Amino acid sequence: MALLERNEWYDIARNTNWTPTYVSESELFPDVMTGAKGVPVDKWEVYDEPYKTSYPEYVRIQREKDAGAYSVKAALERSRIFEDSDPGWVSILKAHYGAIALGEYAAMSAEARMARFGRAPGMRNMATFGMLDENRHAQLQLYFPHEHCSKDRQFDWAHKAYHSNEWGAIAARHTFDDLFMARSATDIAVMLTFAFETGFTNMQFLGLAADAAEAGDFTFASLISSIQTDESRHAQIGGPALQVMIANGRKEEAQKLVDVAIARAWRLFCLLSGTSMDYATPIGHRKQSFKEFMQEWIVGQFERTLIDLGLDLPWYWNQMIAEFDYQHHAYQMGIWFWRPTVWWNPAAGMTPECRDWLEEKYPGWNDTFGKAWDVIIDNLLAGKPELTVPETLPIVCNMSQLPICAVPGNGWNVKDYPLTYQGRTYHFNSEIDRWVFQQDPARYRDHLTLVDRFLAGHIQPPNLMGALQYMNLAPGEIGDDAHKYAWVEAYRTSRYQKKAA
Amino acid sequence: MATFPLISNFQYDFVLQLVAVDTQNTMDEVAAAAAHHSVGRRVAPQPGKVVRVRRQGATEFYPRHARLGDTDIQPMETVEFIFCEA
Repeated sequence: MALLERNEWYDIARNTNWTPTYVSESELFPDVMTGAKGVPVDKWEVYDEPYKTSYPEYVRIQREKDAGAYSVKAALERSRIFEDSDPGWVSILKAHYGAIALGEYAAMSAEARMARFGRAPGMRNMATFGMLDENRHAQLQLYFPHEHCSKDRQFDWAHKAYHSNEWGAIAARHTFDDLFMARSATDIAVMLTFAFETGFTNMQFLGLAADAAEAGDFTFASLISSIQTDESRHAQIGGPALQVMIANGRKEEAQKLVDVAIARAWRLFCLLSGTSMDYATPIGHRKQSFKEFMQEWIVGQFERTLIDLGLDLPWYWNQMIAEFDYQHHAYQMGIWFWRPTVWWNPAAGMTPECRDWLEEKYPGWNDTFGKAWDVIIDNLLAGKPELTVPETLPIVCNMSQLPICAVPGNGWNVKDYPLTYQGRTYHFNSEIDRWVFQQDPARYRDHLTLVDRFLAGHIQPPNLMGALQYMNLAPGEIGDDAHKYAWVEAYRTSRYQKKAA
Repeated sequence: MATFPLISNFQYDFVLQLVAVDTQNTMDEVAAAAAHHSVGRRVAPQPGKVVRVRRQGATEFYPRHARLGDTDIQPMETVEFIFCEA
């Protein structure tokens, strides 16, 4: 039997809009679920997905991808990556799996919402495949770390993290709930697929795959590359949705969704990728600094995508670019100093060679962040490790749920950005975080940060042990320095000589 | 006497921190409580200097012996702790 080429039947077959007779259109596609923003259905029907596939094609290709990723894993099962890799790399794996695996599962629900409530048939079709993609990603990123659980229970956090009240998990849940779990189909298309996936996930996975290959972890490199090929397909759901919105006079609404999503994605990306690239990745394997990476991919490429679509750059674009110089350094210091509160062992990334590299990439680093690290190093050399762990909580941003932090030392610019709303004072890391809250205060106002919960008496006993219990961190899971402080020895014989900026 | 939570923004440190003090504490005692979590941990001590307290963004410091309960500082307000000549 002769088969038609896909392009001969695709447009007709995927045009699944119809005129309902048993229920009204608004009952079948309620605005609250579609987020169509008053754009009539016939206008949405011009939505044209740039990547077209059929179910048989999808299944065949996905099967090949799965076979590739699983066979690389099986072939390298005895490669001793866990035993032989730099502990910094192992820490990246733990942080990545915990932060991402169940987020993928959540993204599957978001894709399912687009598959059901997307106003454009093409969006629903793409999202059906996107839903299957995200399920695959969740499964892969739970299965791959599972082989390490028997050797190191921190790997159990690949599954556990999202079920806990660990601060990073709260931050991830808060962000993902906002961007795609509690949004309409159209909002998800813009915020998840366009802003988060095109803008950030693509970059995270590209960068991480390159670092993995460089570190000799070919299992992880092939896993991440396999996921990335799906992401780059279904990330294209958002672009045509934005085109429909803009063409129908909804640019302002579209712009706000993009601006909120980029602001929120940037914080998580900064925390995870920024600290991984500039600190946890062994220095010999670093391809480029986080700042260089951001300038190339976000400023150089994503910026053009925004303009080409007819959008403006977010109002805070220059402020965000200014943060490339310091925000992830501050998060790194927070992660390392509050290391008992994370499910991986943070790498300090603080050998004299690392500091020279940081000074070269971020001129002035030694005079700012370096000043604070000097005190930490002096305490470790003096046998006072108790002064290198916290006795109180950092203040957490009411938007990002991450510590409010910035530049220490001679560039000291730390500041609270407070806002009193309906009698409650909220604290933010920047004008950007505060602006996000102000766009929809009712959406965010009732959430309690970890500090709010502590003050409300939810954390008992009210000390570090109580906080660790609240965060579900059991003995054997609590983070400590990745290299067991071996890097400190380099400073014992000679004090660090600052490399000239 | 009542426990009073404050947000410490300590000069040269990188992060805001929660500090538990008391309404009866003087500004010097409040500063010492904040210093416990910053100085000698991530901020180098500055011998001979005192740490003064001011509202975020203010230029004037509170008197060193003023009691917290007698000032207009609110619970969970961010206050700055600044090294000054003694």
